[in-house]
Amino acid sequence: MIEKNDIDLFIERIPPTPKVLIDTLRLLNDGELALAAVSAKSDLALHAYLKNLVNKPIYGLKNSVNNIPQIFGLLGLDATQQTIYNYMINLLSPKEWCFFKLDIYIFNNLQAELSANWKKILLFLKIKDKNIESAITLLPATIIVAEAIFKENLENINAIRTVQDIDLNTILKRLTGFDFFDVCEQIAIRWEMPYIIRDLIQSSSGIKPSKDKMINTLAKWMHLLLFYTLSKDIFIKAQLNDFISFEIDFVMDIFNDFSTIMEIE
Amino acid sequence: MRAIIKDGIAIFKPQGFLDGNSSDYFISLNDIEATKKLDVSLILVSLEKVIFFNRNGLDTFIKMFYDVSLVNKATVGFCDCNDKKYDTIIKFYKNNLTFSLFNSLETASLFSSNYKDEGKTILLYSEDKSQRTAMAIELHDFGHNPIIAQSEKEFLEKKKKEQLYDVIIEKTFLSQVGEKVGTRVSGNAIIYTISSFLDSSLGTTFNLKYHNNSLNVGFRLFIFDAYKVSAMNIHALTFFAKLASASAEYNATICFVGLMFDKIPPKFKETLEDAGIMFYNDMDDILQNKKLLSELSKIDATSIKNKKSLNKKIITELPNFIDATVSTIEMMTNSKAIKESMNMNTLVIDEKEGKIASSIGFYGGIDGIVIFVFPQEIAKKACELLLGEETDDVYMILDTLAELVNIVAGKIKMLLTAHNININITLPRTYSNIDDLLDIVTNKKGVQVDLAFDNDKFLFFLTR
Repeated sequence: MIEKNDIDLFIERIPPTPKVLIDTLRLLNDGELALAAVSAKSDLALHAYLKNLVNKPIYGLKNSVNNIPQIFGLLGLDATQQTIYNYMINLLSPKEWCFFKLDIYIFNNLQAELSANWKKILLFLKIKDKNIESAITLLPATIIVAEAIFKENLENINAIRTVQDIDLNTILKRLTGFDFFDVCEQIAIRWEMPYIIRDLIQSSSGIKPSKDKMINTLAKWMHLLLFYTLSKDIFIKAQLNDFISFEIDFVMDIFNDFSTIMEIE
Repeated sequence: MRAIIKDGIAIFKPQGFLDGNSSDYFISLNDIEATKKLDVSLILVSLEKVIFFNRNGLDTFIKMFYDVSLVNKATVGFCDCNDKKYDTIIKFYKNNLTFSLFNSLETASLFSSNYKDEGKTILLYSEDKSQRTAMAIELHDFGHNPIIAQSEKEFLEKKKKEQLYDVIIEKTFLSQVGEKVGTRVSGNAIIYTISSFLDSSLGTTFNLKYHNNSLNVGFRLFIFDAYKVSAMNIHALTFFAKLASASAEYNATICFVGLMFDKIPPKFKETLEDAGIMFYNDMDDILQNKKLLSELSKIDATSIKNKKSLNKKIITELPNFIDATVSTIEMMTNSKAIKESMNMNTLVIDEKEGKIASSIGFYGGIDGIVIFVFPQEIAKKACELLLGEETDDVYMILDTLAELVNIVAGKIKMLLTAHNININITLPRTYSNIDDLLDIVTNKKGVQVDLAFDNDKFLFFLTR
């Protein structure tokens, strides 16, 4: 049994942004990369997260990087903000996953793959905007929301899905009037993320277009990137491939460019 | 990934990109084993939400098709192939297509022995003449009216008048069709599809246990769709005669529809008639004749032969039955259940007005019947989740109710499997009239649990 109340409860439980991160984000916003690194140093968990993230193969570093100023310098201003947001989303992830066959390692891989490939896309589109670069970080939050809301109903949901072609997002919408993207928007509001991020995340569902043409175009790229990533063996195994519906018509016109960027043959 | 099962069709729906690295993980060995056990006539992989695939990506599914069709005898293939996907697959496999390709699920379902709607007028074209003929024969045999375009030019001309056709089929390739005795439900009749020459193999292709359990659940009309039967031998004759006399104990009716006697000895027909089997030329002679349909499927309380009583093994598992029912209906209707009472007695329904019901049988490690009596409001709420809309259409509500009961039974099956009890389930029978339901459980003792979902009274009854 899933009610609107479960969503409210989930939103209520979202922790406020820790002071260290507020300070770090403010300094990044002011362009103070070095000072931001000093501020971030006091959060040991953030330090460990950053170290683990940037040393993943998808970042393509030849040598391992360990200290925060080095990591911030390497990532640059925009990507550092993105990484801080990734860390904040990571704070919401459960210690133990029940609905999806995930663990923290796989979830961090998902974040890293999305972030690195989103950067390639923005480079191709010649878009340099740190908020747009950061928007991708909110996408994996849909998975955390799905896990939190459906974990108690795992068997029922699986039973429904053996007779009906219905994704988790649609089930949630029909039961409560809200979907994962609405909940993600609430997370963004609580964490005072810029409006453009919230608009882009809603539009990336493929079913709720933005009034802004550029946001809609970016949303197509984000939607296709998500399904490109969720088609990888590790994420199929985690049962992430069909938790939301892939809106294939929404992304058809950018597919050829996408294939070029991702070198799909 | 597990298949979605609907109307006798199993369909896998991968999304995104299929390549050699990923597709192995879409369908695991466990999934293949589970698919082999499915009682379906079509097994399909939908490419609707696949934006990219290569040959390696498809090969995993083709291997699954091969493994499964050897055991299951179902028709296998890909559906939702648009022109580009169709052409690409044809290019990949050239003259080595061992599976079917359908432009849509709707097209595929026309070739299913479980197809339950009226026959369609179909415009049909394939570049390959033998394909055109094969598809036309199959479609005709399944009760449709295929119109073949002999050339692309003719096809394009005819296609301009699309309003003349219910369905237009192009870019479709039909590989070998399944050999299973297909089963479907139309109203309260179970329809078996049989084809070609009938012989002793009926003993293996016909699921007798399923048939017997359908009798227990309350089905009384069994129709053999025999349009595609060319002839039969003495073994098949004996099989049907025995089946008819066993079914007569339940006062059930067995009919043959569309059976041609050109190549069947007249004595065979006499023997079958003596066994109580009835013959009709057309399926609509029964299904569209509501009075006849009601008469033939009527339950006679005096004919209930099964007097088995509940045993300790079933009672021990009762909490699983209740849990599966309550949690599924709570989830589907978004309401909270309160158990009001539990009794062991014959079924008692105080208020019949505004209620509908369904029964489903299970057999294997344990056997019995579960009966659910719903207020229409609960079924309507479930419709909202499954269909995404409200409806007052009784037939749609009954259809959805059957689906809901299937979900509950699937969950019961899963919970029992965890206790090392393996069961199979029958198709659910639905009742718009509660008195019809009461006839099948006359004098049968069972466990009755009265529940309230918000203010709606719901009844669960487990018997044998």
